[in-house]
Amino acid sequence: MKLKLIAASALALALTASAVYAQDERVLVVAHAESTDSLDPARGYTQTTGIIEQVTYETLVTFPVENAGEILPQLASDWTIAEDGLSYTFNLNTAATFWNGDPVTADDVVFSINRLKNIQGNPSFLAAGIESVTADDADTVTFTLAAVDPTFLTKLANPALSVLHAGLVRENGGSDAADAATSDMAESFLNGTSAGTGPYILEEWDPQVRTVLVRNEAYWGDAPYFDRIVIANVPDAATQYSLLQNGEADIALDLTANEIETASTNANLVVASTPGNIVHFLLMNRNPDIGGPMSNPLVQQAVRLSLDYPGYVELWGGITPATTMAFGLAGAFGSDRALTRDLDAARALLAEAGYPDGFDITLDYPIFTFQGVNMETNAQKIQADLAEVGINVTLNPAELQISLEGYRNGTQGFGYWFWGPDILDPNDQLAFLPGGKVATERAQWTEDMADSEILALRDQALVETDQDARLAVWAQIQEYMQQNGTFAAFLQPNVSTAFVAGLEGYVWHPQWLVDLAELSRAE
Amino acid sequence: MPLYRYILRRIVFVIPLLIGITLAAFMIANLVPADPINANLPQSQLNNPEIVAAFRERWGLDRPLPEQYLTYLSNLLRGDFGTSIKTRQPIGADIARYLPATIELATYSLIVGVGFGVGLGLLSAVRRNSIWDFLARGLSLIGISVPVFLLALIGLSVLYVQLDLVAGPGRLDFTMSEPPFVTGLLTIDAALAGEWQVWQSAVAHLVLPSLVLGLYISGLISRVTRSSMLEVLSSDYLRTARSKGLAERPVVLRHAFRNALVPIITVIGLSYGSLLSGAVLTETIFAWPGIGRYMFRASTSQDFPAIMGVSLLIAFIYVLVNLGVDILYYFVDPRIRAA
Repeated sequence: MKLKLIAASALALALTASAVYAQDERVLVVAHAESTDSLDPARGYTQTTGIIEQVTYETLVTFPVENAGEILPQLASDWTIAEDGLSYTFNLNTAATFWNGDPVTADDVVFSINRLKNIQGNPSFLAAGIESVTADDADTVTFTLAAVDPTFLTKLANPALSVLHAGLVRENGGSDAADAATSDMAESFLNGTSAGTGPYILEEWDPQVRTVLVRNEAYWGDAPYFDRIVIANVPDAATQYSLLQNGEADIALDLTANEIETASTNANLVVASTPGNIVHFLLMNRNPDIGGPMSNPLVQQAVRLSLDYPGYVELWGGITPATTMAFGLAGAFGSDRALTRDLDAARALLAEAGYPDGFDITLDYPIFTFQGVNMETNAQKIQADLAEVGINVTLNPAELQISLEGYRNGTQGFGYWFWGPDILDPNDQLAFLPGGKVATERAQWTEDMADSEILALRDQALVETDQDARLAVWAQIQEYMQQNGTFAAFLQPNVSTAFVAGLEGYVWHPQWLVDLAELSRAE
Repeated sequence: MPLYRYILRRIVFVIPLLIGITLAAFMIANLVPADPINANLPQSQLNNPEIVAAFRERWGLDRPLPEQYLTYLSNLLRGDFGTSIKTRQPIGADIARYLPATIELATYSLIVGVGFGVGLGLLSAVRRNSIWDFLARGLSLIGISVPVFLLALIGLSVLYVQLDLVAGPGRLDFTMSEPPFVTGLLTIDAALAGEWQVWQSAVAHLVLPSLVLGLYISGLISRVTRSSMLEVLSSDYLRTARSKGLAERPVVLRHAFRNALVPIITVIGLSYGSLLSGAVLTETIFAWPGIGRYMFRASTSQDFPAIMGVSLLIAFIYVLVNLGVDILYYFVDPRIRAA
């Protein structure tokens, strides 16, 4: 009897609770696994900061809504590049204003860029190549670079290079001085509100609980649809899905393949899938002491020809990339240029390399699921694929941080990792060429052992600023890497998102994931 | 022995224990073959030796381990737990932020767990080998053997999504603001502020996670209650009480239950300690911003100061709970007072 009473009263309590914010407001609830410890554009540098800064701040230049294939004006109306490629002069859009109505001036730009550079926060590397930034007059600003950087405009479109209201930030302890790393005290201010020109204003950030954005009523561009956006921090994918099913959330950003599959059969939900910009690849160490047989370029090509590429796409959706350069970056080959499996050719290459009966090798990888792709499953498939040409793979999974240590120290002979571009520019791939971070430090493919052809192409890519000429160079680099690289890229998985039917305007973006200001509800 | 001396003696024993825990936590955290640099700096910054060196210097990672440990201890004596590498906030402030959520959930879960556990245990001991006994033992077996995250997921899927009987994840509706901070316990703060809609939401959001965690701990509590009661019920003095014509109800509740309490209190105390030290999986599934999730984040990012702070906190919670249990023994068992 007593048990019944307890159950009944618990139920009654639950049923009475259905309080809502403000009845007449248009509120968007986003379920997201928050991944940042700062909403200060100069300090936070994660997927979460990208989503939030995209709607609370703006940059001088930006990307189109749906991709990163082009550079468009935003706070700058136009710009000119000096002959020597070292200085860029921007004319500011005089219509642009901060949320308090103040116009955006060249001083705000100078302050924001210098602050980012000097704070030495996680995204500060993006401004490292800027030697100086000066205000020519109230509406004109000139950047001088230390060296020619073909990726400069791409970097400038990153939300970390947002323009902040200099006066407001200074009043709250902000500094752009050379010692800003220790003297800037504006982080807690910027964690509580935003000082930008974007369509929304940060109203509240309760770390680990939720982030609330309110519409910037003084926004100088087109007004967004929703009055308020609540980003609920929900770390577990299954929980995000339950919120979506119950209608408590409008969109869930971090669902795994399991939930996406269930969501696609739910009539009240919509699933949107696009190939993301993460490339899964095998690393084959060029140092014979570490890589053993894997250090042999013939064996490396045999590995590339042994993988059952369509099998990975079948598992996770997405496409087969041609190289480690993600399809979608300017000039990247599509899956029509990807390698295909050829076991006879692979066996012949192994025989030529002196391993007609194959060999034994250990595959290192982290115990990790990224954006729904379980690396363990892929590792097992790699093991099965390579067994067909006599390469006997022993799997060696390890906790992420531990495996990462081996990867970063370059002590893994044969490793399975994934890469997401830091900068949405083909030059991001320099990391995979001799002298680059991944090639030289992780895979020990050094400039000494690389042939002159790839080194010459790399040097051209480093300085070429003409877009057509750049793309021609990158086409040659991709062809070279497919045959002679020290990596085997095998999957560029889909990114899938589910949202309630009637939500409109969703587009996945490689830089900021989703532009929340583009979303609306069908009336 | 008077109560204050009894408590004082317990507290004196605690000091070396806490020092030992700091040392153990420090050694374990440093034995992990991974570098906090890799966990806390993005790949693009690892290229820059200046940034890496500044990071090591800032967090004292460039100094020898014994020196790091002694600095930590001396700061600790001044009440300074250090600053979290990950959140860049003082650990004390982080704990104050996340612990109340865990305390609130743990306390409601304990109420549910003790209610179910002791009730079922009593029922099955008194009606031994009846259908009630089998049902109660079956339920306690579920509590003990089904992993808590599975209970949580089933609860969420059935009670929240399918039947819509309980509120979902989070401590409040996501569109609702927290009441002004007084204790950090939302049910109390909302009542103090007179925000009854928020109070309702807070209570409603507690129902499902408390049921799950309560069911989870009730398994052990009911087993211990049952076996402890069975032992007492078959003792000679109860036979005497019955033979003197005492009714069964006072025999069970006044004589038997009171004498069976010591092991029951022990297991309740341990359960409360484990609930208070944060249920990582339950907190993750219910999007509950408690200390368990904070600890998990700290350990996956090798945030040494936070790991040490939370380890100490958990040790301290167990010490407090044990002290509470000891004080209860003092009242329940007259032999302890006499000793």
